[in-house]
Amino acid sequence: MTMKRGWIAAAVAAASLSGIGTSAVAESATLKTVQERGTLLCSGHNGSYFGFVEVNDKNEWKGLDIDLCRALTVAILGDPDKNQIVPLSWAQRFPALQSGDVDVVIKATGWTMGRDTELGLQFSIPYFFGGAQLMVRKELGISSASELGGGTVCVAAGTTIERIVADHLKAENVEHTMVSFEKTAEVIGAYKAGRCDAYAAWGPSIAVLLANQFEDADSHVILEDKLSAEPIAAAMRQGDEDWVDIVNWMLAALIKAEELGVTSSNVDEMTANPPNPTVARLLGVDAGMGERLGLRDTWAREMITAMGNFAEIYDRNLGEGSPYKLERGLNNLWSNGGVLYTPILD
Amino acid sequence: MLSWRDFRRMTAQEIAVQIGLVLLVLLVVFGAIRSAQVNLAALGITSGFSFLDRSTGWSYSFSLLERSIDDPYARTLLIGFLNTIFVGLISIVLATILGFVIGTMRDSKNLGLQVISSIYVQIFRNIPLILQVVFLYALLIHFPGPRQAHSVADAIFMSNRGIMVPNLSLPLNFVAGLVLGSVLLGIGAVRYAGSAKRALAIWLAGSVALIVAAVLLLTPDGQALVSYPELKGLRFEGGLTLSVEVVAMIVGIVLYGAAYIGEVVRGGLAEVPKGLREAGESLGLGSFAVWWTIRMPMALRSIIPPLGNQWIFIMKATTVGVAIGFSDLFYIVSTSITQSGQTLELIAILMGAFLLVNFALAQAVNWLNARLALKGYGA
Amino acid sequence: MSAAPPTIGGLERLKRRAFHKPLDGLVTLFVAALLAWLAWQAIDWGLLRAVWRAEDAALCREANAGACWSIIDARHRLILFGLYPFDEHWRSTSAAVAIIATVILSCIPWFWTARRLISLWIAGFATYYLLMEGSPLGLEQVTTDKWGGLSLVLFLFSSVVLLGMPMGLGLALMRRSRLPMLRWVASLLIDFIRSLPLLTTLFTAAVVVPILLPDWLQGDKIWRIIIAFSLFFACYQAEVFRGGFQAIPNGQYEAGKALGLGKWQSLGLIILPQVFRHALPATINMVVVTFKETAVVIIIGLFDLLASAQAAFGTGDWVAYYMETYIFVALIYWAFITSLGRYGEFLKDRMKQDDH
Repeated sequence: MTMKRGWIAAAVAAASLSGIGTSAVAESATLKTVQERGTLLCSGHNGSYFGFVEVNDKNEWKGLDIDLCRALTVAILGDPDKNQIVPLSWAQRFPALQSGDVDVVIKATGWTMGRDTELGLQFSIPYFFGGAQLMVRKELGISSASELGGGTVCVAAGTTIERIVADHLKAENVEHTMVSFEKTAEVIGAYKAGRCDAYAAWGPSIAVLLANQFEDADSHVILEDKLSAEPIAAAMRQGDEDWVDIVNWMLAALIKAEELGVTSSNVDEMTANPPNPTVARLLGVDAGMGERLGLRDTWAREMITAMGNFAEIYDRNLGEGSPYKLERGLNNLWSNGGVLYTPILD
Repeated sequence: MLSWRDFRRMTAQEIAVQIGLVLLVLLVVFGAIRSAQVNLAALGITSGFSFLDRSTGWSYSFSLLERSIDDPYARTLLIGFLNTIFVGLISIVLATILGFVIGTMRDSKNLGLQVISSIYVQIFRNIPLILQVVFLYALLIHFPGPRQAHSVADAIFMSNRGIMVPNLSLPLNFVAGLVLGSVLLGIGAVRYAGSAKRALAIWLAGSVALIVAAVLLLTPDGQALVSYPELKGLRFEGGLTLSVEVVAMIVGIVLYGAAYIGEVVRGGLAEVPKGLREAGESLGLGSFAVWWTIRMPMALRSIIPPLGNQWIFIMKATTVGVAIGFSDLFYIVSTSITQSGQTLELIAILMGAFLLVNFALAQAVNWLNARLALKGYGA
Repeated sequence: MSAAPPTIGGLERLKRRAFHKPLDGLVTLFVAALLAWLAWQAIDWGLLRAVWRAEDAALCREANAGACWSIIDARHRLILFGLYPFDEHWRSTSAAVAIIATVILSCIPWFWTARRLISLWIAGFATYYLLMEGSPLGLEQVTTDKWGGLSLVLFLFSSVVLLGMPMGLGLALMRRSRLPMLRWVASLLIDFIRSLPLLTTLFTAAVVVPILLPDWLQGDKIWRIIIAFSLFFACYQAEVFRGGFQAIPNGQYEAGKALGLGKWQSLGLIILPQVFRHALPATINMVVVTFKETAVVIIIGLFDLLASAQAAFGTGDWVAYYMETYIFVALIYWAFITSLGRYGEFLKDRMKQDDH
């Protein structure tokens, strides 16, 4: 927004260019704003995006992306509830980020070149992988996207899916009509009513929907075609590299904790008795974890105590502990057959 | 305009107030420009209209012209603008016709007609338009799919994809030419034919002749004159498809707009002196003749200005299309903003388009008004 | 709309209006049959065959089940209060009641002086805000991003009317001013905003304005939207006031001068009260339109009544019952708008009588 941020960013850039910017203490303008405000502003959804950003029966936000926002809140402010989840449609998430209505977008957002350059965004390390897929009714007797000729595809407006599906069907020379809506609920409603032959969305979210949002789940099928392999990452405004660092290390710490076997139940024990130097660093037993980011040394420990590690967050929202029972697949640690890995904590 | 004399008559205080206001306006404008520059620079966004030549990479539900994902932003925005105008104009015409019917029914002496028209107005005027459109859309998409579509004489089909009707086998640009010709003919007829009735007759006869001639002369060789919709695979081919989004938009806006226009018409009719009606009746004219030759021409004078406001309202109301995925200009602009990040430029285009449409409509209403007011009686 | 009044000769009148000529009689009978059929369909589906309680939701799936009001029973809190914390719903309810009471009270003639009306609205609005926000009263704080449903609609509506009214008066006075600059700025603004769809104005406030403003001027999205909405209201209301000014004969201004009142005094004491009186019916009309137009905020991402309704049938088990939910919401809007509109008509008739 904002002149202030603009000036600070300019100053930071100038300082680092002239070689002075080597001081250990980070100086993130967004971090400062969040600390002064006392609340972190995260992206919500206009309705429920099941498993990731959804509203439960008690009108509270939950989901994998919400838990990541809460983890970030603990890391910065020490309390998972000191955030505001701002309801946003898909199309509004970037304008809202640019205008300062949210501090970070953690909402199943794919990392694309256009967003990185034209939209003036920066992305964190990816924390989730999945591709665009199509779901159709079994009765159509279709097994691949190339058979959709003449069909109608429903999709959410302003998403990567919108472009990926268009690209793919064009490449396959499939003539089709695309109907796009501002709200996920409208897209699903339109598909269920039969307005479209195919529902195009991000694979994991289709799986979640089929798991408990379709009474007639058996009469739908997810087509084999994987239209994309999309790295999902948190999006931030350009010009505040230190803020990106904080979000990156928040994600890295959660995954690292899983790798090291630190969970919310054994974190106190581990702190008292760190089994190796990495755990000691992670949990702030050895100094340095916080200072380098401009946070408290114990931020990761508090975060894991409050929210658990990445595996716990996954299980609670998508895996065994949730109604969806989604396999981890790609989204497992590299050592367990997935593709998740973290930078080195030194 | 302003002259020196005006300035000399003002006190120093009054001049100071004005200068202060102008400075304030300038300050706001330049402050906004300055902030925008700083903010956009911080985000690394290049401003300017060069993005209009870039291709969009996404598609949308409805278009009057050929569309593809390789279209540049400029063409996509133009299509959105045409969609807005298309739905707006059709809704204006239909809502006006239905509104006159409703208004006349409200004014009628017959109890049955009065009751049913006032129930209509009470329902459709007192529920927000967007709710009506969303509701209607939800109903329409729960129609059976294309393979089980309701059909009328195997020529018109209704399914959850929309309404399919037989269509002339003419290429799209010929159809556009026909519409344009008909509009021009209408304008000419209103201008040069002496009375409204004659103008209407000329326009109707001329348009029909134009269409028949075009169909006979211009239909591509080897094709039937009229193409009928036919189920092929996942959808209907041939004929003309009006997608459910378009149908929901037009029907929703027409039902809502007609309730308002009906009230305008009723108000206009109520202002016509009772004596005129009685005079007509005593001349032995039937009730339709009294309505058509005496009351309506009188009432029109007070109907036109508020009717013009309703037309402008209907044009603006097309923006609710975004709620049901109808690709009007607002929808296209809103999606373009997310996909391209050129917020300021796109909003400026959106505003410019609506200012233009409004201005054109206001001119048309003024012209109509002046024409009616000139002819004698009253005003 | 009602049938013939039961006065003496009522039957005779009914006969004349309904069965004047054979064709008239036919039309009347046809309409009566149509209405009876529609009413029967509605009653049969909506009442007789309907399922009412949330526990009975399974019955909704039976072949001859009518309306499934179970969804309303189960999810009315979501529809009415949006994301407001579950345990604090009593606050949202009382806040909504405060606004409704304010609207009802301002229909009573006793309140029709500038001071009383302004104090009433400020009091009503303050009660609403304190209850909803909570922290000044020592209640748990609930930030505006959690406000939703009917309470949010009422909040938007009342703040727009409260802010827009003085803005509209200011614009009307500027547009009538002797000073050309004031006149031009006001006309430009009014014509510009009135040419744009409300949605465009609100969207600009939500998405574009932050780019144009420095940090310290921003604030919540909801406030930006309210201010833009008020501006929209003010530009229309200014034209309503202008009509009121035009209805006042020149003699009134001279009367003020003759009494030795200054320009502002005579404006405040003599002119404005008459302007308000003349502008009242049109003002009420504007207020009704404003209430109706609040429904478009769903598109800029606020969790209003329509959005919460869609959320209510958005989850697994309830998807099929969109119609019941929309009807419920439509009835809420309809009740508010019809009663306000009826009141406006009543007032107009009364003022007409006073004039004679």
